[in-house]
Amino acid sequence: MSNHDNKSAEAPGIAGGKSPSAPLIETINLYKSYFNEDLETPVLFDINLKIESGEFVAIMGPSGSGKSTLMHILGFLDVTTKGHYHFKGESTEEKVQDDLARIRAENISFVFQSFNLLPRTTVYDNVLLPLLYGTTPVHERRKRTLKAIESVGLADRTMFFSNQLSGGQQQRVAIARALVTEPEVIFADEPTGNLDSASGKHVMEILQNLNKEGHTIILVTHERTTAEHANRIIHIQDGRILTDEKGHTKRIASQVKQLK
Amino acid sequence: MLTRDLVRTAMNGLTRNISRSVLTTLGIMIGVGSVVLMISMGASFQKYILDQVSSFSGGIFEIHAKGLQEFGKETQSISTDDLDALSRLSTVESVAPVIFVAGKVRYGTEEITPSIFGSTKEIFSNFSLTVEHGRALTDGDIKGGQDVAVLGSKSAEDLFPSEDPLGKRITIGTRKFTVVGTLKSFGSPLMGSMDSLIYVPISVAKAMTGKVRYVDYISLQAKGDLSLAEADIKSLLRQRHRIDNPEDDPKKDDFIARSFAQATGVISTVTLSITIFLGLIAGISLVVGGIGIMNIMLVSVTERTKEIGLRKAVGAKRRDILIQFLIEAVSLTLLGGLIGIAGGGVFGFILARLAAKFLGSFPFSLTPGSILLSIGMAVGTGLVFGIYPALRAAKLHPIEALRAD
Repeated sequence: MSNHDNKSAEAPGIAGGKSPSAPLIETINLYKSYFNEDLETPVLFDINLKIESGEFVAIMGPSGSGKSTLMHILGFLDVTTKGHYHFKGESTEEKVQDDLARIRAENISFVFQSFNLLPRTTVYDNVLLPLLYGTTPVHERRKRTLKAIESVGLADRTMFFSNQLSGGQQQRVAIARALVTEPEVIFADEPTGNLDSASGKHVMEILQNLNKEGHTIILVTHERTTAEHANRIIHIQDGRILTDEKGHTKRIASQVKQLK
Repeated sequence: MLTRDLVRTAMNGLTRNISRSVLTTLGIMIGVGSVVLMISMGASFQKYILDQVSSFSGGIFEIHAKGLQEFGKETQSISTDDLDALSRLSTVESVAPVIFVAGKVRYGTEEITPSIFGSTKEIFSNFSLTVEHGRALTDGDIKGGQDVAVLGSKSAEDLFPSEDPLGKRITIGTRKFTVVGTLKSFGSPLMGSMDSLIYVPISVAKAMTGKVRYVDYISLQAKGDLSLAEADIKSLLRQRHRIDNPEDDPKKDDFIARSFAQATGVISTVTLSITIFLGLIAGISLVVGGIGIMNIMLVSVTERTKEIGLRKAVGAKRRDILIQFLIEAVSLTLLGGLIGIAGGGVFGFILARLAAKFLGSFPFSLTPGSILLSIGMAVGTGLVFGIYPALRAAKLHPIEALRAD
């Protein structure tokens, strides 16, 4: 019976197509390379990874290690060259551009290092943006947008323009924008990279709280202190997974340090 | 994405750089404005000419020999016998024959060289002439061969700048004539040559020129159906001139017989082609404006690459991006077009008013059709010149777009 359910829920997007046993994210021998005029540059090799719903995972590695490429593939901004990527138990290799766009609209959110807010646009409109491309009913938009803004503590800045805010506040707007669609997973790509340490700490606290509330968070960073906020650290180097440790984060981070 | 959201998104995109948006639309304003102006002026001009021509009754035919006619030379085509036969046709109300007289006209020290028509009293009704002072030619003048003349308003002014012309004796060639009447002006430069005509009895004109058997020109008033009258006139003249022309080929005839209604049609065709020609020239400026739109939209896409990347990252499909940028381009051209229509209309109205000062009257014409056409052209320009930048935006790869500076 569960088999039958799976099939009927395949389209559109992936929402609902979950089999109880399947992890949220599973890659099997994932391989990625870029081609530049017939010259193949491999970036990721044999990535085998399982991430369960509700995890807070840090993907760590030096620049050029392939961690951003991995995040782009897991976040449906890019596609694999070889291997498999199952999202909620469903194969994703056959998806076309617009299918990927639909998954991004409904299942995925991003927080970027450089915030990427729309300039000369209010906090409200910035946070509302993903709802315009999704399936949220029009009458629910306002409520959800305000709730997301409130959850990052910026209710009093709702009608401010994005460029009137500090960097930390801008990143919190970006987090609100990531929350508003109630996605399955939030990808944070060096979210503290452009922030001072106090703002960065605040942002990481928000992400930790979101994780405690049940959100799956995948953090990409090269900073050990940032990665330590996660419950699991996957260390990537030269396109391969070096370590994948769950448990007490401080301990993992120090192990990684020793490996270096 | 909902249409409402697409429009709102596009509007936000435009208003974020409002001075650039306005400057970009300037080209379209000028383009659409000149198209509207040209179409409006063309239509006004056409209406003006048709108004003038329509002062002639629709039932008037003019008949004359084919080819060049020279004043003072007898054109042996339409004979006085043809004239009599024409006047007996059941579809003909009246005929006014004309013999052209060449010669200088003098009074005192004033001398002019007008066109002189030897004709009958019917010419006054056929040409819609109105007597201002005195009287028109009468049957008595014709029968008695009276040396009397009726002056067009322009000739009357030229010969008698400070005197009352009535009863004065003018000299035409070597012959003395008494002025018995003057005519009202047609009141428009287009009909100016009509105002300088001088009319004398046809019997006198025959004596002066020796054109006894032929007339130079006939103005004919038809009655009933015009096409029937035309067919009657043509078949009669062909029969009398022994021309075999059942296929109605005007090349075979040795005469021309046409109604003013036909002339009106010709004028309409001519002014319409002038209007189209002017509109096309104005259309070139619209193309230039469109290239400006494309240019700015390309700049905008480049500047907002990161925004496009973000929109894609949060779930925008290619179609969403494409339509957003198309709406931006079309909004620019539509706004420019509306302002251009208003501007072109106002400018056309002012020009028509100015023209009216010189021409007596000049109508202003701006039809809903031409407004709709201009709006269509503006939207079309936006679509044509907006599609390439919009496609470029839609095709951007999300990651590359996000990495852009």
